[in-house]
Amino acid sequence: MSATFDAIVVGSGITGGWAAKELTQAGLKVLLVERGPDEPHGQYPTEMKAPWEMPFRGMGDAQEYLKSYPVQSGNRHFNEFTQHHFVRDDINPYTVGEGQAFNWWRGYQLGGRSLTWGRQCYRWSDYDFGANKADGHGSDWPIRYADLAPWYDKVEEFVGVSGSAEGLAALPDGRFQPPMALNVVEQHVRGVIGQQWPDRCLTVGRTANLTQEKEGRAKCQYRSICARGCSYGAYFSTQSSTLPAAQATGNLTLVTDSIVDQVEVDPVTRKATGVLILNTATGKHMRATARMIFLNASAFNSVHILLRSRSELFPKGLANTSGVLGTHIMDHASTLSGMALMHGFEDRTTYGNRPTGIVIPRFRNLDKTDGRGFTRGYSYQGGALQSTWTQGKRMPGIGAEMKDTLHKVGPWKMVLVTYAESLPRASNRLTLDPVRTDAHGMAALHIAFDHGANERAALADAKTEAKAMLEAAGGTYLFGFDQPGAGGSSIHEMGGARMGNDPSTSVLDKWNRAHDVPNLFVTDGAAMASSACQNPSLTYMALTARACDAAVTMLKDGRL
Amino acid sequence: MAQHSEQALGERGLDRRQLIGAGLLLALGVGTPIALWRRHAEGESGSADAGQRALAERLSDLVVPATDTPGALAARVPDWLLLALSHGQAGTGTQPAGPFATVRAVGAAAPMGLGWLDAVGRQLNAMARGDFVSLPAKAQHDLLAALDAEAFKPGNDAHPWHKIKELILTGYYTSEIGGSQELRYELVPGRWEPDIPIGPQTRAFSSDWTAVDFG
Repeated sequence: MSATFDAIVVGSGITGGWAAKELTQAGLKVLLVERGPDEPHGQYPTEMKAPWEMPFRGMGDAQEYLKSYPVQSGNRHFNEFTQHHFVRDDINPYTVGEGQAFNWWRGYQLGGRSLTWGRQCYRWSDYDFGANKADGHGSDWPIRYADLAPWYDKVEEFVGVSGSAEGLAALPDGRFQPPMALNVVEQHVRGVIGQQWPDRCLTVGRTANLTQEKEGRAKCQYRSICARGCSYGAYFSTQSSTLPAAQATGNLTLVTDSIVDQVEVDPVTRKATGVLILNTATGKHMRATARMIFLNASAFNSVHILLRSRSELFPKGLANTSGVLGTHIMDHASTLSGMALMHGFEDRTTYGNRPTGIVIPRFRNLDKTDGRGFTRGYSYQGGALQSTWTQGKRMPGIGAEMKDTLHKVGPWKMVLVTYAESLPRASNRLTLDPVRTDAHGMAALHIAFDHGANERAALADAKTEAKAMLEAAGGTYLFGFDQPGAGGSSIHEMGGARMGNDPSTSVLDKWNRAHDVPNLFVTDGAAMASSACQNPSLTYMALTARACDAAVTMLKDGRL
Repeated sequence: MAQHSEQALGERGLDRRQLIGAGLLLALGVGTPIALWRRHAEGESGSADAGQRALAERLSDLVVPATDTPGALAARVPDWLLLALSHGQAGTGTQPAGPFATVRAVGAAAPMGLGWLDAVGRQLNAMARGDFVSLPAKAQHDLLAALDAEAFKPGNDAHPWHKIKELILTGYYTSEIGGSQELRYELVPGRWEPDIPIGPQTRAFSSDWTAVDFG
């Protein structure tokens, strides 16, 4: 393998795949470095298995999970079918602040979390890009919606996002494939909400699952077991989409089982020269050089690499003359705000497993200040569903009578889960743990994180409003919560190397390029200066495509 | 290991009924040398003894009997139940607490999960004033129905029956019989129909993963 490239992309997840695709299609010779093992598309080992074909019926070995996956096993998508798409906690340690908890849910394999992501695709609006400037939390974004809109177009068209255009200012419409339909109960609730609250809209979740075929990818088969991997290629992942596009150029070199230990910098030119890579199979280090580096290792891991890459020139971590590297990390505060029994549809059901739910986009603090004790906003996701046999765990009864009950399609329930915006705070930050190391001897990441009063007030309001909407739709409200889960539970951890115009208060410029290192780009979630309340992956992808375009132009102009 | 211990007991002239009787005495908190010896002989490996297997079989059959479709025994639910308990599934990796605490020899390792089955067995034996497993099926059904009703009264969430029942239902409905004969199983539906009528014969799906998780 030649060790000199035009560009090195670190990480093969959602944004790394995009960087590899964009840069190779622009004619650059690219090295894509993945820390985990290969997982070829179409060879997903559990994809077609039934529960009775699994040693623990799909639930996995609780004993093993306690020992090796105590954090990861708390993830809703973690099970016996998907466990190989999650890291082993016992060999991938991190530490948290005193009295704090943080669920750092990760997948170290080719494709990263693009295999297991929730696939929800939402644009940000200028309510979001303008928020930091408007209310003074965090630092101002160096871009606005108009800067990113064409890149959202490009990304959506390639990804294949199904959804319904609703004309909402807070959640701009995109280039959608036809939407998946609301089920009969959701359709009813949409009608009630629209009538009673004209500023609120329930629509089907905009999702990276195809409703129309694309090149080399079949449309969704309505299995909703995406996190096992999908050999139909019906949802967007590195394997199904960006990697084959990058490989088709002939410009890509892919290495797996290779951890980037450090980014190396020439102290004279202050430019990145390449990366130091640890091959986990051989235990040996190697060096690869390039004209530019893209960090796409996931928000926290990209920051981790920068913190590790200390030198005389950058004693506090690479690209950290500002001192803000690692600070202002965020994760949406989420909770189950309401569950209700829904009546009047006992003779109706559905066929197939739709791989998306519903969304009620943000309606608070848009053109008027109506958040009770909080700035910014929240949105709901969820849906209406019917029970199956698992309801028997909570029901009295045994014998033929119970068997007969569980034989039938169960009652309808509607669920609303809230994602509240996470304000950027300096005290929520990543550092290198001074003591703990991982299996490779690298300093473990230390995560200090707490949700704040603003997030709690937003969740309290969300619970009140969820109850009101579910009851207005005729539901019997069963329960709901107003306290967030531990940090990380939304799996929307972001920030730590925020973009900004001011090099003294931000790490990256408006092109996701390090202020301090002109040929170093960070285009994953680390770049976020605020969190909005939308699922962030689409924005990461658009930022990546935009940054790649800028980087290629700079390279060709001789500015890198 | 269990086989070895039964053989050893047989050599000492104990039959299965006596073995269960010994288990009952232990269950009732009457420590006996033979019961402690039995535990010791099994090395506290977490594998089930004959009495536990017999109880697992009866409970599984009573919760999901054969009707016009096969029941829990045909679906080999007892095997699943004992495997699941020995691996601490459904939160049985920690022992039942309070009045349901497991009695075991001082210094012995905790038998992973099986303590929950033992706790249910003790209750049923106490209700039966004897050996629950050897009662006629109708009497077993009535006693278990009474225990079930008690366990599902408000505030009784810690009752060990919840976990045993959960694992029995899980074993049945995730088996091929329960999942694809009793219920419908469709791995690749291929289409989405958002609103269709339910008929009198409409069966639930075991492959409705959202319903399995949140239903």
